[in-house]
Amino acid sequence: MIGCGIGSGSLRFRLLAGAAVWIALALAVAGFILSSLFQDHVRRRFEAELATHLEQLAALLELDADGRLAVRQPLSDPRFRRPLSGLYWQVGAGDAALRSRSLWDGVLALPPDTLASGDLHRHVMAGPAGQTLTVLERTVVLPDRAEPDRVAVAADQGELVRVTHAFNMTLALSLGVLAMALIAAALVQVQVGLRPLARLRDELADVRAGRKKRFAAPMPTEVQPLVEDLNALLTHAEEVVGRGRLQAGNLAHALKTNLAVLANEAGTLNEGNARAVGATIARQIEVMRRHVDHHMARARAAASRGVPGISTPVLECAATLARVMRTLHAAADLDIAVDVAPEHVFAGEREDLDEMLGNLVDNACKWARRRVVIASRSEAGGMLTLTVDDDGPGLPEERREAVLRPGVRLDESVPGAGLGLAVVRDLARLYGGDARLQASPLGGLRVALRLPSAAA
Amino acid sequence: MRVLVVEDTPELGRQLTQRLAAEGYAVDLAVDGEEGQFLGQTEPYDAVILDLGLPKVDGLSVLRSWRRDGVTMPVLILTARGAWTEKVQGIDAGADDYLAKPFNMEELLARVRALIRRAKGHASAEIACGGVVLDTRTGRVTVRGEPVELTAYEYRVLSYLMHRKGQVVSRTELIEHVYAQDFDRDSNTVEVFVGRLRRKLGTDIIKTVRGLGYRVDEP
Repeated sequence: MIGCGIGSGSLRFRLLAGAAVWIALALAVAGFILSSLFQDHVRRRFEAELATHLEQLAALLELDADGRLAVRQPLSDPRFRRPLSGLYWQVGAGDAALRSRSLWDGVLALPPDTLASGDLHRHVMAGPAGQTLTVLERTVVLPDRAEPDRVAVAADQGELVRVTHAFNMTLALSLGVLAMALIAAALVQVQVGLRPLARLRDELADVRAGRKKRFAAPMPTEVQPLVEDLNALLTHAEEVVGRGRLQAGNLAHALKTNLAVLANEAGTLNEGNARAVGATIARQIEVMRRHVDHHMARARAAASRGVPGISTPVLECAATLARVMRTLHAAADLDIAVDVAPEHVFAGEREDLDEMLGNLVDNACKWARRRVVIASRSEAGGMLTLTVDDDGPGLPEERREAVLRPGVRLDESVPGAGLGLAVVRDLARLYGGDARLQASPLGGLRVALRLPSAAA
Repeated sequence: MRVLVVEDTPELGRQLTQRLAAEGYAVDLAVDGEEGQFLGQTEPYDAVILDLGLPKVDGLSVLRSWRRDGVTMPVLILTARGAWTEKVQGIDAGADDYLAKPFNMEELLARVRALIRRAKGHASAEIACGGVVLDTRTGRVTVRGEPVELTAYEYRVLSYLMHRKGQVVSRTELIEHVYAQDFDRDSNTVEVFVGRLRRKLGTDIIKTVRGLGYRVDEP
């Protein structure tokens, strides 16, 4: 069902899962970038601070009265005086080195290094109390000193790690909250976006239950065509049912009339008129059979009318019927010609074209002296005109309309006819066409059948 | 003339066989497609009346199998399916005529007569030979205009021989087309019928072809 389940098949699940994946991915990338930027920034501040301390230390360095190296006054940062505070300085290397009080009795084991004047070198090494130190060193050349002196400042990286960690924690927490908020927003969006589908589902339930006849609520443009198609389908179904009822009624009415005739005849039956009554009964039964065939054909045609994509090549149908008529009317030895273009295609069921053309050609064969011609031509407005001509006696103009009415036979002495032509016109009209009787150039009757054409 | 009726509705089968027999035909009735198919393949019929909706094997399949095996007797399809598409299917399967139920018995008989006549090469409903006229529509026989009373078997023998006018018909063939399947056949009775016919007609149009059979010909 649309929008109601949250299983993997529902639209809501798919939209939400998609949003969650993208939000998570975007926030993870943002978190990584922010964390890296922050770490970089903090490290640079840390090293800049060390460099400042180093500058101060170098500036305070002098030779005392004995010509030994001395720091003129304590460095400004109090941590240099607090033992193992994590901030240290040292001038020179080895045991003779001058050191900050914070180093206590430790010595920074500076790696052997040669530094050009003004170079700033950075080392990472183990410090006192298990600390990991970042060391910045340079050389200072004092007057009266034979060698340049190495001056180093060191700070514990632990501080850096702690600050970065605290920042990352805060960052993760805020990004997590943001993710929750975004997913909640997506949830609301999906809910609101899919609300028309839920409404559609409710309406469908109403239609199925018979509370409503059509989908009435306005829908978003994406869904509106679906709703319109559903409404068209409902209309079609209603029409089909309506026509079915009407035809069942027509059939019942038609048969009841014949049954009334039969009942009356049966009432008058006696030894003397048995043969005449028998003939009436047989004729009424024949008429009833034709009514049944007629309404069967109508019902089928009505159901298939307007169904797109159905097409029947006229030539194939006409050629088959001509072959069949040569067998059925073998005694008459007729010349049945088919003059139909292969590209003429009827937009309807094969059975219906068989029924229409079959009745017409059969009639023509009953009346023809020698020749029957089945022909077709295409007309403007997507229609085809099929003609069936015979060289029989023809039909006076004033009787032509009458024989297209149900139940009228051209001649009681020739079997058949009756409803045949009425069926043909009925079916043709169901397809939006018509059937007309005309004088044939062959001398007999022409029936012109107008039918919708399908593109070949 | 011998006719096979393949029809599964008992009442209709009975009506058809009774009426055809009354018209002078030897009639066999098959009540399903399997039996009908077998009879049509093994017995020489002059016409078949075939229903389409049959138990075991449907009528169209029966007809197609006959035609595939070269069985050529005329077949009239008698069915409730009256649409033209179904008629086309029937004729394409090899039927010679098609009649939709409910039908007029007289029309059915007329069509069966016409089918048999056409199959034997006669265009007219009346077959004449040496003053003897057989009207296939009424089953009446006249000699120089005077009606002749014949029994059912005499009529069958004369009718078959006249339909095959000019051709030699063996005793066996005559027996096969005069008696229904479950009848106790005796070739001597055929000779008895021919003898009676010769007496009743008073003209010798039935010739005995020694060692071969009989032939109807101008005297």
